[in-house]
Amino acid sequence: MTTQTVTTRTPPPRRLPSMSVLGPILALVILVIVGALMNSSFLSAGNINNVLSRSAFIGIIAVGMTFVITAGGLDLSVGSMAAFIAGLMILVMNAALPSLGVGVPIILLGMAVALVAGILAGLLNGFFITTLGIEAFIVTLGSMGIYRSLVTWLADGGTLSLDFDLRTFYRPVYFDGILGIAWPIIVFAAVVIVGEILMSRTRFGRHCAATGSNAHVAHYSAVNVDRTRLATYAMLGLLVGVATIMYVPRLGSASASTGVLWELEAIAAVIIGGTVLKGGFGRVWGTVIGVLILGLIDNILNLTDLVSPYLNGAIQGVIIVLAVILQREAKAKG
Amino acid sequence: MMTIPGPVLSLRGVSKSFGPVQVLHGIDIDLHAGQVLALIGENGAGKSTTMKILAGYQPPTGGTILLDGQPATLSGLRAFEDAGIVLIHQEFNLAEQLTVEQNVFLGRELRRGLLLDKTRMRQLTRDYLDRLDCAVDPDTPVSKLSNSDKQMVEIAKALGRRARILIMDEPTAVLTGSEVDTLFAQIRVLRDAGTAVLFTSHKLGEVAAIADRVTVMRDGHVVRTDAARAMTEDDMATAMVGRDVSDLYPAKPGVAADAPMALRVAGLDVPGWASDIAFDLRAGEIVGIAGLIGSGRTEAMEGLCGLRPATTTRLEIAGNPVHVRSTQDALAHGLCYMTEDRKLRGLLLTKGMRDNLTLQALHRFGRVVIDRGAEDRALTQAIADFDIRAGNRDVAVGNLSGGNQQKLLLAKIMQSQPRVLIVDEPTRGIDIGTKQQIYAFLRRLAAEGRAIIVVSSELQEVIGLSDRVLVMRQGRIAATLADDDINEATILRHAIGVAAPQTRKAS
Amino acid sequence: MSYMKTLLAGTAAIAIAGSAMAQDAETRVIGVSIPAATHGWAGGMNFHAQQAVERLEEVYPQLDFVLSTAPDAGTQVNDIEDMVATRNISALVVLPFESDPLTPPVQAVADSGVWVTVVDRGLSVPGIEDLYVAGDNTGFGRVSGEYMASKMPDGGNIVVLRGIPTTIDNERVAGFEEAIAGSGIEVIDMQHGNWNRDDSFNVMQDFLSKHPQIDAVWASDDDMAVGVLAAIEATDRTDVQFVLGGAGMKEMVQRVMNGDTMIPADVTYPPSMIATAIEMTAVGLTSTAPVSGTFTIGSVLITPENAEQFYYPDSPF
Repeated sequence: MTTQTVTTRTPPPRRLPSMSVLGPILALVILVIVGALMNSSFLSAGNINNVLSRSAFIGIIAVGMTFVITAGGLDLSVGSMAAFIAGLMILVMNAALPSLGVGVPIILLGMAVALVAGILAGLLNGFFITTLGIEAFIVTLGSMGIYRSLVTWLADGGTLSLDFDLRTFYRPVYFDGILGIAWPIIVFAAVVIVGEILMSRTRFGRHCAATGSNAHVAHYSAVNVDRTRLATYAMLGLLVGVATIMYVPRLGSASASTGVLWELEAIAAVIIGGTVLKGGFGRVWGTVIGVLILGLIDNILNLTDLVSPYLNGAIQGVIIVLAVILQREAKAKG
Repeated sequence: MMTIPGPVLSLRGVSKSFGPVQVLHGIDIDLHAGQVLALIGENGAGKSTTMKILAGYQPPTGGTILLDGQPATLSGLRAFEDAGIVLIHQEFNLAEQLTVEQNVFLGRELRRGLLLDKTRMRQLTRDYLDRLDCAVDPDTPVSKLSNSDKQMVEIAKALGRRARILIMDEPTAVLTGSEVDTLFAQIRVLRDAGTAVLFTSHKLGEVAAIADRVTVMRDGHVVRTDAARAMTEDDMATAMVGRDVSDLYPAKPGVAADAPMALRVAGLDVPGWASDIAFDLRAGEIVGIAGLIGSGRTEAMEGLCGLRPATTTRLEIAGNPVHVRSTQDALAHGLCYMTEDRKLRGLLLTKGMRDNLTLQALHRFGRVVIDRGAEDRALTQAIADFDIRAGNRDVAVGNLSGGNQQKLLLAKIMQSQPRVLIVDEPTRGIDIGTKQQIYAFLRRLAAEGRAIIVVSSELQEVIGLSDRVLVMRQGRIAATLADDDINEATILRHAIGVAAPQTRKAS
Repeated sequence: MSYMKTLLAGTAAIAIAGSAMAQDAETRVIGVSIPAATHGWAGGMNFHAQQAVERLEEVYPQLDFVLSTAPDAGTQVNDIEDMVATRNISALVVLPFESDPLTPPVQAVADSGVWVTVVDRGLSVPGIEDLYVAGDNTGFGRVSGEYMASKMPDGGNIVVLRGIPTTIDNERVAGFEEAIAGSGIEVIDMQHGNWNRDDSFNVMQDFLSKHPQIDAVWASDDDMAVGVLAAIEATDRTDVQFVLGGAGMKEMVQRVMNGDTMIPADVTYPPSMIATAIEMTAVGLTSTAPVSGTFTIGSVLITPENAEQFYYPDSPF
């Protein structure tokens, strides 16, 4: 064959990372600086521990949401799913208390219930979306209502509370930790590390991105599109279960108001982090930044008196939109 | 022919740079009223940029644009449109969910007071379509139209903008043969009414058929402008490529009679598309599949590879009976299909070359964690093997030229190390130089011992490449041709069903 | 499961009521429209409404009840319109989701001659209802404030958690601030915990980071008190002497009863006021006893001495 001489070009010089990478980091750094200037206790170990622990639930869920959104899906049901799983977990543990007594086995039982229920709930969403081909928005809007009603029904409109002794025994899972780092933070970090590797270094991550980017291309490239999507929902369900395991020991209760709007916070964190809402590109580390930004806004507003509490929501809204604009601005420039 | 006054639109010494890269070097182009100018050149020769400058999508970095002989001081798309210059994109610029009429007047709706003047818009749309001899109903949603009708709507839209200079980017790339004839008839109508037309095409036969004059570009320079009558197709190809391309197809070395059987298919049924397909294929052989559009060629092959529901009574790969129910099965047996639609089904346009290259064969790049180093090496190898030209390895694949996308697609399929490779329309919409390369790649892959099926609408391609040819008609194999039977007339006869009795039938 | 039974019983009661109405023209129907059980207090209110309906249907065979719960104001308007159109109610007991959107439809019901009892939240236009069973939000705040002032005679620093920004919350806080004025108690911080355990937990954690010395917390609601207590327990801070909630959640009442120093008292805002309203309406329909006017259910301070009479172990709240 005839080959023409290829014009060799010198590789372009290393440029600064693009704004889509820097944007969320920059927003986070600015928030930290603002927080530190506003209140001296902002950077104290106690406060940082508090904020990170609190963010862990949304964070763990948001990591799962990153995969779902990257693969071109959406899940609105995670908040009420968490409430339902928390309720179920409490009921099962209370019911098993007479036979198992207070101890490690009953905690493990509760955890197993949460994980299994999470996976099943995720698979159910995924089944309707992939096998039956119903819009993810509709399916998960439906299951959002279903789980919310189920937990209200389980609690008879009130609050389900873990037995007091059991709660005392289980409590350290939220409040204690290793070397002063609370368990929720450790679990969150582990989930993030596994998630980041899964997303950027494994077949599954590539398949998610390919599916979300163009499902036809993925199909023609021998990617099992339905199974990939199903797996993202199952994984998100599992992570909702993990988040619930960390949530229940904190207050030892679940009610109809548990986990309200968690789904929107998780989705917001994912998008702030630079994952594309319509799918095809996702990054787990970005989601972590998004979660931290959301957590810090609340914290800073509580620590300062500058803004009327009535305007908290407005401040949050402005920062979320700004964080996303910061990235888009960069995209437009190329 | 009427006497030609001066050109209506000209480029004089126009150059264009993107950053440090200069893509146009002082080019001169003239468009005359009542004439069709064909702008030809390989992918990357600068045709697209030239058209964009002519239509005001991009300003030149040097040189002048003359409108009616005067230096034009137009700036912005709207100013060019107001001057009667309209560019019709290769990918149509139509709102699929809106009707033909709504599209024709999109952004320039006529109003009577506060309300839309629907009657008048419908009347005018009808007028434009009549002028184009087009029978489409103005109330049809564009999504329901065929590609040729969409093309007509684009032209009607241009008429609605009182276009006197019409620039068409590869208008025939997505059209069938008869649709091309219709389009050309309408272009002639416009030309005779005094419109200046510029169009690009990779099909040199079409250029010879419709163009009055031809401008050939290569590497950002205009290398030749001449009357179409003064150039043969070979002249054009040689000018475009800069070397002789008369031997477009590689030599056929012939298939050894004892070559092992690579694929044996019996009773392949693809519901609604194809039935009772049976054929076999030896290692080292290239078999062409010809047939009219809608004959079930593509669907039969997709069914074979598990891409759509299908059944076979018997399927053997390398002598072993196998079952293929999914793309994953097909892949496991070394059976790979390269889609005809590289943009919608073949490549992830927003991703880089590396992600695309390895997508189908990720299991080869690490058991759990993907080995990025190995991926990079594979890309380096693929770039060398398939002569993929991209300025930057990280560029989004959507920004590559069609030819380079096609080469990348072929490289991607080859990552799965297929034993049986089915390529569908392997050279659609790419230039002649790249075509020649792809033909050479395919023959080389066959020589390495792979078995290859080439599905194509271009008869010349099927004839030039294939050791044997299967002709499909209405979902069945109408004939299997070999040796001297592989010629245009015989293939066509079987494809449309007027076969002479002495032709060998499929077994 | 007992939940199931309750639900079934309720459904059965309504079904029987429906068939009874068809047979006996003298049967009169009372419609009860309340917000759905989306938080603890509303859950308790739902419980008491159901209990009252079941009990009264036995006491008054000539009365039928229609109970509907609504997740938002719009649904509640639809519910009320349906009751009038299809059940021909003689009386309506309504706890308005919001005052403004419910005022016109309830007025229309009243104009058609149906007895109207309004509970807790008043309508925007006075005089529509025949009977108003009111909670006293200003009083709730005042009782809380007075208790705080008496418990901290030397004054001190307190933080306040507020509910969802509404008139109810504003009235409570106004009553509270009025009561502590001049007592030496200083409110050093105030944030919305939205009557939610998780939100109040977060707010309290941040208060603890921000303020080195907090003497007491007015959580203003028992659900929020749960979150506040969890946040305090997680630290080794000893400066917070007590937390005052409100509304009378059974767990909190129990802690008061047991003499818990962190929860020395509670202030009622009884969800059972709905039961009072239904019962008074039933009396009004079946007897000549005068029940119209305004009946205010005051907020009462629960202390270890009287806690037993506010403890309902069966209630979900």
